[in-house]
Amino acid sequence: MVRLSLSAYEMELVRKKLGREPTEAEWATIDALWSEHCSYKSSKVYLRSFPSTGERVVMGIEDWQDAGALDVGDGWAIVLKLESHNHPSAIDPFNGAATGVGGIIRDIISKGAVPIALLDMIRVGNLNKDRNKWLLKNIIKGIGFYGNSIGVPVVGGELSFDETYDDNPLVDVAGIGIVRKDRIVPSIAKQPGLRIVIVGLTGLDGLGGASFASRKLSGENEIGAVQIADPFAGKIVLDVTLAVADKVDAIKDLGGGGLVVGVTEMANGLGAVVDLDKVPLRVSDLTPEEILISETQERMLFAVKEEKVKEVCKEFEYYEYPCAEIGYFTEDSIVRFRYKGKDVVKLPSDLLLSPPLFMWDVKRPTKQVKERPEINMEEAIRKMLIHPDFVSKEWAYSQFDYEVGTSTVIKPGEADASVIVLPNQKLLAVKGDANPDLCEEDAYECGKYIVAETYRNLATVGAKGIGIVDHLQFGDPRKPEVYYTFVEALRGIAEAAKFFNTPVVGGKVSFHNENKEGKPIKPTPLVVMAGLVENKFLRPSVENGLSVVMLGLTRNELRGTFLTKLYGSFGDVPKVRLNEDLLASELIIQGINEGKVKFAKDVGRGGLVTALFPILIKDFGLEIQTRQIKTDAGDDLLVKLFSESSGRFVVLTDDPEWFIRNKKGVVASIIGKVNSESHVLKIDEKSLDLSQEVENYHHYLYKVIEND
Amino acid sequence: MKFKDFDPDKYKAVVLPGGFSFGDYLRAGSIAASTETMKKVKQMADEGKVVIGICNGFQILVEGGLLEGALLPNLNLRFISKWVYLKVGRKDTVLTKGFEKDIIKMPIAHAEGRYYHSDAERAKRLAVLYYAGQDGTVDEKYNPNGSLFNIASVANEEGNVIGMMPHPERASFKLTSLDGVTDGLLLFRGLRKW
Repeated sequence: MVRLSLSAYEMELVRKKLGREPTEAEWATIDALWSEHCSYKSSKVYLRSFPSTGERVVMGIEDWQDAGALDVGDGWAIVLKLESHNHPSAIDPFNGAATGVGGIIRDIISKGAVPIALLDMIRVGNLNKDRNKWLLKNIIKGIGFYGNSIGVPVVGGELSFDETYDDNPLVDVAGIGIVRKDRIVPSIAKQPGLRIVIVGLTGLDGLGGASFASRKLSGENEIGAVQIADPFAGKIVLDVTLAVADKVDAIKDLGGGGLVVGVTEMANGLGAVVDLDKVPLRVSDLTPEEILISETQERMLFAVKEEKVKEVCKEFEYYEYPCAEIGYFTEDSIVRFRYKGKDVVKLPSDLLLSPPLFMWDVKRPTKQVKERPEINMEEAIRKMLIHPDFVSKEWAYSQFDYEVGTSTVIKPGEADASVIVLPNQKLLAVKGDANPDLCEEDAYECGKYIVAETYRNLATVGAKGIGIVDHLQFGDPRKPEVYYTFVEALRGIAEAAKFFNTPVVGGKVSFHNENKEGKPIKPTPLVVMAGLVENKFLRPSVENGLSVVMLGLTRNELRGTFLTKLYGSFGDVPKVRLNEDLLASELIIQGINEGKVKFAKDVGRGGLVTALFPILIKDFGLEIQTRQIKTDAGDDLLVKLFSESSGRFVVLTDDPEWFIRNKKGVVASIIGKVNSESHVLKIDEKSLDLSQEVENYHHYLYKVIEND
Repeated sequence: MKFKDFDPDKYKAVVLPGGFSFGDYLRAGSIAASTETMKKVKQMADEGKVVIGICNGFQILVEGGLLEGALLPNLNLRFISKWVYLKVGRKDTVLTKGFEKDIIKMPIAHAEGRYYHSDAERAKRLAVLYYAGQDGTVDEKYNPNGSLFNIASVANEEGNVIGMMPHPERASFKLTSLDGVTDGLLLFRGLRKW
C-alpha cells in the first residue's frame, strides 16, 4: 500500500465526520486531497491576505488552484503559473525537472492558453560535491529535453548555489501563456450531467506523488513516486487540447494527486461517478487504488457535453492518442469511483474539499550577529566575483532552445529581465527573484525586497510590472521558527505587491524542504513578475567614454548581503524603502524612453561590484570615484561597494546631467566612466586587473561540470 | 493542414521546419522519415520541386535519403543554442542562387547536428554553408558540434533539395534577431531567383 502522510489527528477527524472506517482506496483518496500539496491546509489562511485584484486581473486565484491571468490589451490576456518539482528532482533530477516543465505547460493549456515562454529558477548545493554536479547537470538536461521537444522557449531564469540545498534542490519553473480574454476555459464543471473524459494512458509512475511532496524526503527508495516524462505525448496533448478548447466546458491537468484529485476538484462541490475500468491503462494489471492516485504525466481531464464527446475524442484519435469517457458529474455531492460495478470510493465531496486548516504556532528565531571582521577590499571583490552565483550561466541556457517560436526579443544572459513579443506586438518582460540569505535574516524585509527587485529588474529593460506569481518554499510548517518565516515573508510580499500595484494572480506553496538531518532549507520565497514595455525597450550596450551614473542612496545595511554570506553575519538588516524603488524605476523607464540610457542594471545581490561586473566582461574598463557615491556611511568603502540596500541602479549614459537634474527626488550622482582598458576596475587610486575573474566568468560552469 | 492529409500535387515547394518530429525518439527525424507523408515529399523532390529542411527538417531529409550523409549527436553530447557565423559555399541552390553575401549570421539549436559523410569529396561537393568566424574563416575553433569540414548545410546535386541546421526563420525579423540581422530573410528571398 502507498505510504500515507495524514496525521493521527486528521485520521480521527475523518472517522468522526464519516462515521465509519474508510476503505484502503478511500484513505488513499483522502490522503491525496488533504495533502499539503493539494489542499494548502497550512498556508491558505494567510494566502488570502495577498492583494489579488486590479484593473488588469482577468482571473485571480480561484481557491489557490489555478494559473492567474492578466489583461495585456487588444483583447489578449497572459496566463501565469509558477510551480516547483523539488522532491522528484532530488531523486531523479532528469525526470523530476522534465515533468515539472510538462506540468506547467499543461496548467497553461488547461486555461485554453498557448504556452509561449518558460523561466527556470534552480538552486542546488555547492558544486564541490559530485552529487550536486550530477543533480544540476540532469536538471538542466531534463528541462531542455522537455521544453525543447515541445517547443516552448526557456527565456530566462536563475541559477544559484548554497549548501542549504545539498539534499533538497529547488527546481522552480514558471510558465507564460497567451489567450483571447473571452476564451479562457474554467477548470471546474458547473453543471451536473457533463461527461468526464480522460486522455492519455495511466501507468504505474508517480504513485502518491502529492503525498510524497508533502513530507520530508525519507532517504528510502521513493523512485516510484517520481513521474516519467514523455514530451512527444505532451506535444500531442498540447496541440489537441488547444484545438478542442472551445468544444469543452472545463479542462484540468491531471497533476498532483492524479485522477482522484482531478475529478474531485473539477466537480468542485458537485458529485461524480467514475468507472475506473474505463480508464485507458499503460499496463493491464493496475489495481483500482493505483489508477486513482497514479500521477502518470501527459494526461488531461475534460468536462464535456454528452453530444460533444465523440467530436473531442476524434481529435485525439487522429494522433492515435487514447481518449475515453469514464463517468459524469452528478447533483448529489458524492464522489464515487467504481471498479467492475462495485464502489471502491464513495465519499462526500465536502469532506474531501474541506481539510482542517492550520495556523501553526510562530516563534521569532534568535539571530547570532558577529562583530564586523577585518575585510580586505581587493580580496572581497575577487572572492565574490568568482562565486558561481555571479558567473555566466551560458552552459545552462545554451542547452535550452530559447528562441523557438521566434518571439524572444531579449535573450538569456543579455539583461536583467527577458522580453518576448506578444501577438498584439506588445513587449512582455518577465523576471524571477529570490533572496534566501536575506530571508534567513529577516523574512519580512526579504518578502518586500524580492518584489522590489523584480520591479527594478523589469525597469532596466523599460517595462513596468503588472502582476506576480509567487512560490513559497520552506521547511516543516509545524516548526514555529519555520512557520514564522513563512508568515513574515508572505506579509512582506503582500505589502510590496500592493504598493507596486502588481497583484498576486497565482502561486504555490512547498513545505517540508529539509535536509537529511531535518534541518530546513533557508526560507526561499520566490516571485516572478510580468510587466509591459509601454514605449521603448532597452537592449543594454556598452561604449567607451560613457558616464556611470548611480541612482539611489547606499545605506549601511550589510546583514544578509552576499558580503556577509562570505564573511559572516554582521551589521543591520536592509530596510526596503519601496517608494525609492518605485521612483528610481520610473526614472529609469523615462530615461529609456527619452534615449538617455545605454545600459541599466539594478544594484542587488553582491552590491555595486557585481552590478558593474557585466560592463567589464564586455571587455571594457571602469574608473570609479567612491567619494561620489551617495551614502549614509561616510567613507566606509565596504558599504559603498557591497551594500545591497534597495532602490538603486547603475546606468551608463552619454547625458549624465539628465539624471542629476531629475525631478522625482531620486538621489543621483556621476560615479565614474567607461574606458577601453579591458577588464580593469579602477577604484579611486587602486587598479584591479580582473582578467582572471572575467576568464572564470566565461568558463567556470563548463569547466566544473563538463571538464571542458 | 495536418501532415497525414498532405497532397503533394497541390504545391510547388515544401518546407520541413524545425521541431522534434515524433519526439525524435530513436534518432532525430528517423520516425518521421518513414511516414507516408515523407514518401510524398520524396516524390516532389524527384519531380524537381523545391524541398527545404531546417534543423529537424534537415535531419528528416537525411534520414529519408533525400540528402546524402548523416547527422550525428553533437560532439559534446549537449543540446546547443547559439548564434553562429556561416560562410556561403555553393551558390547554385534554391536558396543561395545569386546570393550576394558570403558571410551570414544565424542561430543553431540542436542536439544532433554533427554532419558526417563517408565520402569526403562528395561532402565538399554538396556543402552549402560552413560554420565560420566573423571574417569567414572556416576553422575547427568555430565548429560548434564536430561537423565534417564545419558543414552546416548541404543540398543535392541539382540544388532543389536543401537542408540546414541553422534557423533562417529566426534571423528574419529585426526585433527578435540578434543585433537586428535579417540574413535568414535574404536566404528565403533567394527562392524568387530559382
